[in-house]
Amino acid sequence: MPQPMIQVKDLTKVYRVPERAPGLKASIRSLFKPQTIDVPAVTGISFTIAPGEMVGLIGPNGAGKTTTLKILSGLLTPTRGSATVAGFTPWERKPDYLRRISMVMGNRSAMNWDIPPLDSFRVLAEIYRVDPQTYRDTLDELIALLEMEALLKKPVRNLSLGERMKCELVGGLLYRPDVLFLDEPTLGLDVAMQRRLRQFLHKYNQDHTVTVILTSHYMADVTALCQRVMLIHHGQLIYDGALHALAEKLAPFKLVRLQFSAPVRDFEGFVAKFDTVEILPQENGHPTLRVPRALIAPVTAQILENLPVADLAVEDPPIEAVIDRIYEEGTV
Amino acid sequence: MRSLDRFNHRGGWALIRNTWQSWLQHRGFFFLLAFGWMLPMLVYLFIWSAAAGDGAVAGLTRGNLAGYYLALILVNQMTYSTTNWTVGDNIRYGGISAWLLQPISPLYHALSQEIAGKVVFMLFSIPVTGLLALIVRPELSLTAGQALLFLPALLLAWALRFFWGYWLALLAFWAARADSLLALQDSLIFLLGGHLAPLALLPTWMQPLARILPFRYMSAFPVEILTGLLSGREIWLGFAIQAGWTLLAVLLTRLIWTRGVRHYEAIGG
Amino acid sequence: MHYIKLIGLFFKTSTQAEMAYRYNFFIRLLNAALNLATGILSLVVIFNQVETINGWDLPATLALLGVYLLLGALRGLFIGPSLESVAGMDGEVWKGTFDFTLLRPVDKQFLVSVRTWHAFALVDLALALGVLGTAVGMMGTQISLMGLLSFITALSAGVALLYAALLGFSALVFLNPGFLFTWVINDLFQLARYPVGLYPGWLRLILTWVIPVGLMTTIPAQALTGTLSPLMLVLTLGFTLAALLGSGWLFRLGLRKYASASS
Repeated sequence: MPQPMIQVKDLTKVYRVPERAPGLKASIRSLFKPQTIDVPAVTGISFTIAPGEMVGLIGPNGAGKTTTLKILSGLLTPTRGSATVAGFTPWERKPDYLRRISMVMGNRSAMNWDIPPLDSFRVLAEIYRVDPQTYRDTLDELIALLEMEALLKKPVRNLSLGERMKCELVGGLLYRPDVLFLDEPTLGLDVAMQRRLRQFLHKYNQDHTVTVILTSHYMADVTALCQRVMLIHHGQLIYDGALHALAEKLAPFKLVRLQFSAPVRDFEGFVAKFDTVEILPQENGHPTLRVPRALIAPVTAQILENLPVADLAVEDPPIEAVIDRIYEEGTV
Repeated sequence: MRSLDRFNHRGGWALIRNTWQSWLQHRGFFFLLAFGWMLPMLVYLFIWSAAAGDGAVAGLTRGNLAGYYLALILVNQMTYSTTNWTVGDNIRYGGISAWLLQPISPLYHALSQEIAGKVVFMLFSIPVTGLLALIVRPELSLTAGQALLFLPALLLAWALRFFWGYWLALLAFWAARADSLLALQDSLIFLLGGHLAPLALLPTWMQPLARILPFRYMSAFPVEILTGLLSGREIWLGFAIQAGWTLLAVLLTRLIWTRGVRHYEAIGG
Repeated sequence: MHYIKLIGLFFKTSTQAEMAYRYNFFIRLLNAALNLATGILSLVVIFNQVETINGWDLPATLALLGVYLLLGALRGLFIGPSLESVAGMDGEVWKGTFDFTLLRPVDKQFLVSVRTWHAFALVDLALALGVLGTAVGMMGTQISLMGLLSFITALSAGVALLYAALLGFSALVFLNPGFLFTWVINDLFQLARYPVGLYPGWLRLILTWVIPVGLMTTIPAQALTGTLSPLMLVLTLGFTLAALLGSGWLFRLGLRKYASASS
């Protein structure tokens, strides 16, 4: 059993936020007796990640994903619990630890905007003490993979969002970290660029043993890249396992899309006979049914027998719908 | 000639109130600004007081100097125009297009910021000056006549400083940076407008310059009236010069504004 | 060596970024000249009325102005820009990008102190040296080797004190983000433009031992005019050491507080 790269036990983080009531009297009072309220962000989280794994960390806004990432990268000190990454305690922020991890955020830039990215890279190479040969090799590899030869000499402020994101990734990887924390890396990018970055991340993860934790609101990122997903809701880890198993466990139903060759009288009445089958809102005039897995065979048989079906398709529910239901209901 | 529809009073008043309320939210920032402007005055108060010692320098005792500089702190705060600095930015970054399209005169935007600013700054300056008065013990003999004449002088001083800076800032319609001109204006006010020294303490060769140029009338003139440093004749002469410069400033502003807007629209905004 | 290389790289990238702005060199030169002229004219006006104030005459006060401009130039060269890039308006704490800096495997105090350079301040430096040279010439006295040594020591202490003050106030930004503490110390530094002996007694004490802007310029100027007592120099050095240690401690405290508060 290989040594885990990331080991988290009982991690808890509670923010102490100053309470700022409106009004002059309240602000004078707060000078003498500052009121604080405790906001729990993460409660009792435990998990283990092996080297080279690419794990998706998902959850609604405010669930605690970014807090978890920040604790693991060393930016935040937890209130309780322990975490070990690459053998270090992250929040001690030892230089040897910092050299082995990388944090890339989709909504914040680490680049210097006034100079070409190549110059920022050179400074980073020196900061991380990358020897010149390794730097050249790594840079060549990353630039080829990301197809950004043309961008290197343009000041960062003149680049598009997608081009900037490529620079952030290079900046985060040019010292070959062992652990990569990606916080919403595809935020705001167009679909084509998202796809390209996903391909890059997939290939990079395969070529090098880099352990990746990825947060994203785009389920496409998670489904494309992560075999394993951790679902955080209200600061608690409510699911940790394979993504497809999540869908199967949570959504023990499938979708049946129908196309009729002739108008159907009283479709609702027909469906009402199966009391666990729901009619979903129509898409493009094609009725869609939500059918429990166990009933797929009999229900489709009945439909084919009794209704003028031109086309019938049985699909897995989209993962987003599954996740949304979890967010609404709060449990798995 | 703009139609009077543009002088929408209700709209203008709402604008002033909103600006004031939002600036109050950031009062820490504005108090810090006011503190920064106050410090140089205090430096020169202390220096001239040290020069005066127990006696007087050019007829001004420590008490006189204290009264002069404390009044100057307040008058300077009242006449200092913060919007002149932002007008240039507005033009350069196109914010002025929005102003031109609104049904209230763009002047209202500038004015509302001015008034909002004064209220917030004074919330800091008045109590702090009061506190300082306890420490430096000013000697002030205030007559009703002085007080009466002080108010119009203060108003004109603000108007002069505002419009003079405004037309300089409007040069941003053509040139890139009007900031240097505004910085130059601040330096000249410092030297000739009674900050570095009250008029009476300036070298003899600088005095005529100070009396003729507009800078004294943007800052020191109301203070001199209030602290009784001027004779009746000097006051009336001062008013005449101040009014003259103010009129010129307003005319220049109007001229540069109409030319500027025409140029701005011609080059596509 | 690694640290020296880093400083070189920081200087290079900062200058590159500065060039990107094509800010008119001549306008900046004009500004520098304007400020210099105003400063000197101020002294002319003051000493037109009196010969000396509390023992300071025009040449001595001009020397102090030279020291003030010299410290200001060094501040403007790297100390100020580096700390402002973190703690100032539109700085990393303000914008929330300090996380990246926090994760770099370099000593943070080093990083935030030397990261950004404004090469133009070298012009200010030259002007300051010009003023110093002129003042020393006007004073006419010969400076002994001891005098020169004590001047260099006092000047170094002045720079170190200014650095400690700026670092300390910058650290406060971690504890209370949103307030521009660096502006406070920059405003207070204006008081160092004149000898601390010119201020009333109570202020003199505060500016010497509490917020030592008085020590920063008056002590080196006194070294030049030969009026610096050895005791005062030793006390200043001790105070400077304490200030450096104290501001370093405050900075580390700020980092800890920042890390546990960010979200």
